[in-house]
Amino acid sequence: MTTTDEELVARAQGGDIESFNQLIVRWERPIYALAYRVIGKEEDARDVCQDAFLRAYRALPGFKGQAKFSSWLYRIALNLCRDWIRRQRRAPVSQLPEDTDAMELASETGPAESIEDLVARRELSAIVEEAMSELSEEQRTAIILKEYHGMTFQEIADMQGCPLSTVKTRLYQGLSLLRRRLEQQGHMMPELVKRV
Amino acid sequence: MNDIFQCGDSAALVAYLYDECAPGEQALIDAHLKGCAVCASEIDGLRATRRTLAAWTPPEQALGFRVTREDEPRPAKILEPNIAWWRAPLPAWGQAAAALLIFGVGLAVGTSRTAPQDQTTAVRTASVLPASVTAVGASRDDLTQLEQRIRTELGQLRTSNTATPVAAARGSDDALIQRIKTMIDESAADERRAFTERMLNMADVIERQRRVDLAQIGNSMGQFRGATRDEIRQQNEAFSEALRRLVSDTPR
Repeated sequence: MTTTDEELVARAQGGDIESFNQLIVRWERPIYALAYRVIGKEEDARDVCQDAFLRAYRALPGFKGQAKFSSWLYRIALNLCRDWIRRQRRAPVSQLPEDTDAMELASETGPAESIEDLVARRELSAIVEEAMSELSEEQRTAIILKEYHGMTFQEIADMQGCPLSTVKTRLYQGLSLLRRRLEQQGHMMPELVKRV
Repeated sequence: MNDIFQCGDSAALVAYLYDECAPGEQALIDAHLKGCAVCASEIDGLRATRRTLAAWTPPEQALGFRVTREDEPRPAKILEPNIAWWRAPLPAWGQAAAALLIFGVGLAVGTSRTAPQDQTTAVRTASVLPASVTAVGASRDDLTQLEQRIRTELGQLRTSNTATPVAAARGSDDALIQRIKTMIDESAADERRAFTERMLNMADVIERQRRVDLAQIGNSMGQFRGATRDEIRQQNEAFSEALRRLVSDTPR
């Protein structure tokens, strides 16, 4: 039976470091993904991710379980991302490396994915990333939390400290901008199933 | 949320898009979309955008953070030791050893490639080869010195490694790697300089040889031309003599 986050938190608060390390194993990838998508730089996202866990560990005695541990952790990471963006004072920029190594790509392919498919996926990923970087920080964060972390409107509102209606507006406006941008470039994914 | 959905209500459409409608609203919007091409097109476009967004994946990163106690041997609070061995960065001594190995192979390949060329050049241009063409030897010396420096660095690292804390060792690792990179850059620059010198010297040798060859050809041509002129003169004289005899012997 899987130990819940709450149980691990309680043990960690009692001084069991290994329980906190289990929480890290459980949440480091989503937190890194959040940081990378918000700030757009691999190494900085890694630093933010590490810093988020360090701060969470230090603040653990004060965590009373009012929110889910993951929501609390996301909020810490998001605040660190905001601090990073303020320090940088520029939009996140991240491109596909120009000197993409075919051998390196080949090692990343799954059994059913050809190198051509992988290159196409990486290119599309870079295009989406570039389009996302043109959104406002609030729109981008709302879309990231919704699309890639499956948060509810209410959770995003709590995270962003804004009304629920504002979250919906940010999502709608952000998606509409992305849609226009991707359609202009001809990169919109075709509709898989026609609505009836 | 409104009990009656109004056409073009973006908040309601977003809620519908993400399946977070208020109770009863879902069926209401479903019914509306069947008769409203504009809203149906809007939902289709937003769905296509969502599918495209799914392509954005963050790059793979070796994470493996861990929290350790202050009193544990490792001084850093959060480290990343849980990386698979094939993805883990090489320690400094390993990187230095790899650098040495690469230099050794490069040196061997370079020696095996340059030796026959030098011999051939020496045979063809021995008479005009300048004595100052020693760039290859100097470059090898540089490489030998470089190897010696790396070995010294490696020895110092090994002796200090046991007592050095992890953070400090990591700092010295970075410094060592930086020094090795600098040395590699210097070596590459030396190699380029040596290669350029070799090329310039070779071009000089070829040019001198060309001039010598042209001079020899010119002399040969002159001798040939001189010889031909003499023969023609002799033939003319013989012809004139024969003509004179013929005229004097002819009865009047």
